[in-house]
Amino acid sequence: MTYFAGIDVGSLTTEVVILDKDDRMVSYAISATGANVTEAVEHTLGQALSRAGLARDRLNFIVATGYGRITIPFADKKITEISCHAMGAHHLFPDTETVIDIGGQDSKVIRIDGEGKVIDFAMNDKCAAGTGRFLEVMAGTFQVPIDDFGALSLKSKREIPISSICTVFAESEVISLIARNEPAEDIIRGLHRSVVSRVWGMVQTVGVPGPVTMSGGVAKNPGVVILLEEHLKKPIHIHTEPQIIGALGAALFAKKHFLRD
Amino acid sequence: MTRKEYLVKQKEMGRHLLGVFPAQYPKEILWAMNIVPAEIWDPPLEITLANAHLQPTICSVVKLGMELILQRKCDILDGFLFPHTCDSIQNLASVINDYMKTEKPCYFFYHPKAPYGAAGRDFYRNHLKELIGSLEKQFGPLDPDTLKQRIHQGQKISALLTELYDLRAQGELNITNEEFYSMIRHGEYLFPDDFIPELEAFLSQNKGQGIKGQARVVLSGVLPNPPEILTLLDDLGVRVAHDDFLIGSRRLLVPANDLDDPFENLTESYFAMPPCSTKGSSIGERAEYLFRLVDATGAKGVIFNVVKFCEPEWFDIPNLKEELKKKGISTLSLDTELNQGLSGQMVTRVEAFVEMIG
Ligand code: SF4
Repeated sequence: MTYFAGIDVGSLTTEVVILDKDDRMVSYAISATGANVTEAVEHTLGQALSRAGLARDRLNFIVATGYGRITIPFADKKITEISCHAMGAHHLFPDTETVIDIGGQDSKVIRIDGEGKVIDFAMNDKCAAGTGRFLEVMAGTFQVPIDDFGALSLKSKREIPISSICTVFAESEVISLIARNEPAEDIIRGLHRSVVSRVWGMVQTVGVPGPVTMSGGVAKNPGVVILLEEHLKKPIHIHTEPQIIGALGAALFAKKHFLRD
Repeated sequence: MTRKEYLVKQKEMGRHLLGVFPAQYPKEILWAMNIVPAEIWDPPLEITLANAHLQPTICSVVKLGMELILQRKCDILDGFLFPHTCDSIQNLASVINDYMKTEKPCYFFYHPKAPYGAAGRDFYRNHLKELIGSLEKQFGPLDPDTLKQRIHQGQKISALLTELYDLRAQGELNITNEEFYSMIRHGEYLFPDDFIPELEAFLSQNKGQGIKGQARVVLSGVLPNPPEILTLLDDLGVRVAHDDFLIGSRRLLVPANDLDDPFENLTESYFAMPPCSTKGSSIGERAEYLFRLVDATGAKGVIFNVVKFCEPEWFDIPNLKEELKKKGISTLSLDTELNQGLSGQMVTRVEAFVEMIG
């Protein structure tokens, strides 16, 4: 049996997906990237291999992706996360025409064709606005666990718009609103709106989307998903583990390159 | 020899040096008056002093130019020339000349913006004469025969650069992207007597088979900075097949004309230049120019590599991208600082674009 691995080293988490030759996901693992990329990769790959019951030498081809892809010397090939998210999303939801990936340090909107190939993309990589990091910082300000932040926004009865785009200024704006005793859920809803507005701007630069798949950790945030669906006027495809889509795409590329080579 | 060493040598040879800000100006007139134009685009300086005079949203071409003056690195120059390229350069000229009151003489060159008419041509012709009049007060009289000879040299340079661009477009130049731009940018300070033989030697040494099978792109923008963009494309095996750079084809590839009157000749050359955001060319003309470059070279996409906060360029880009998209041409836009390298995300965007068109 041949096996393929995709390793996605993101700014916050590292994911590994192992596929068999029939594209079946044999195992996956997710862990925090932390300050040492090499350790994070070794640890996550080790976990995925042990869950699959495989030794490392059973992997026939490894593709690395994500911002830390350059630091994986044993990868057979390096491919950008843009191509990998596209391929992974297409594999899970073949009708996907647009992938929205809101990651830790950047967000991307990717238009893909019927084979999962990228045809256009937009990327917000200049500042934290419109990224998962923005929500994380704000959740910290409210001392709310990030996993509960989105759900809290859904309780809002009267959304309070946040005018600052910059994370630092938005934080001071939020602090003044808290000082005025504005309800937390209303402010939080406004913060989610701010992220979604940035992402929606990018969606429009790559054109009107057909079926949309969301990848990345923020896809688990219902506050963001609902607001995006409001804009799209249709539901978004979300996998139970949206974080592994990049690694899955990398593993699919690994198989493709192995067969081609 | 470095640019600085070259300019010092020119000065020792008795030539005058004029610091010239971007982008289009009648070089031939300066050459004919024994003036070496030393163009100021991207001096490798850290911006510290200029920030006190300019708001943060000014492009780094302007900021670095001012920094060069404030750090007193222009002492060797005999003056400055400010072409009216954009509002930022125009205002830089005011700040330096009117408010900072530099002791160096400042000259201004206004060129007509599109759409062009007969009045624009008259204006341009007269303005050339006005520029000569003001330069003569400092540098002495212009000899009409020398001007004709310098115009001839200007045409020779355009012809050599056109040959260089054509060979590259056909994949018949055996050099890297980085080597190509390093060569053409020597023209930003070399006197024609030196630039012509250098270009001829470069052409004869490098004519030959380029690397086959490379993905090809057209670059658009002001200049190919940061230089890492070129080395990244080289590393990715991507060939820049043509460019629509302000520093490049938009002002270098001037079609030849055989008009005997020097003012008619220079006027004709200016109006025959390719379209440009800084000359108010329409989106239609600019898009048409880009289509032609893509068609002629078989490029798979266009990368807009644009200086951050460059208003003339950024205003055009959404519409240009739209037009290119309609024709199925892939595009990527990057907003870059001149000398600050490429961030990891910027590299990812370029790599993803290459994967996309590959
Ligand atoms: S980069 Fe743009 S804004 Fe700056 S000087 Fe050049 S044309 Fe003007």
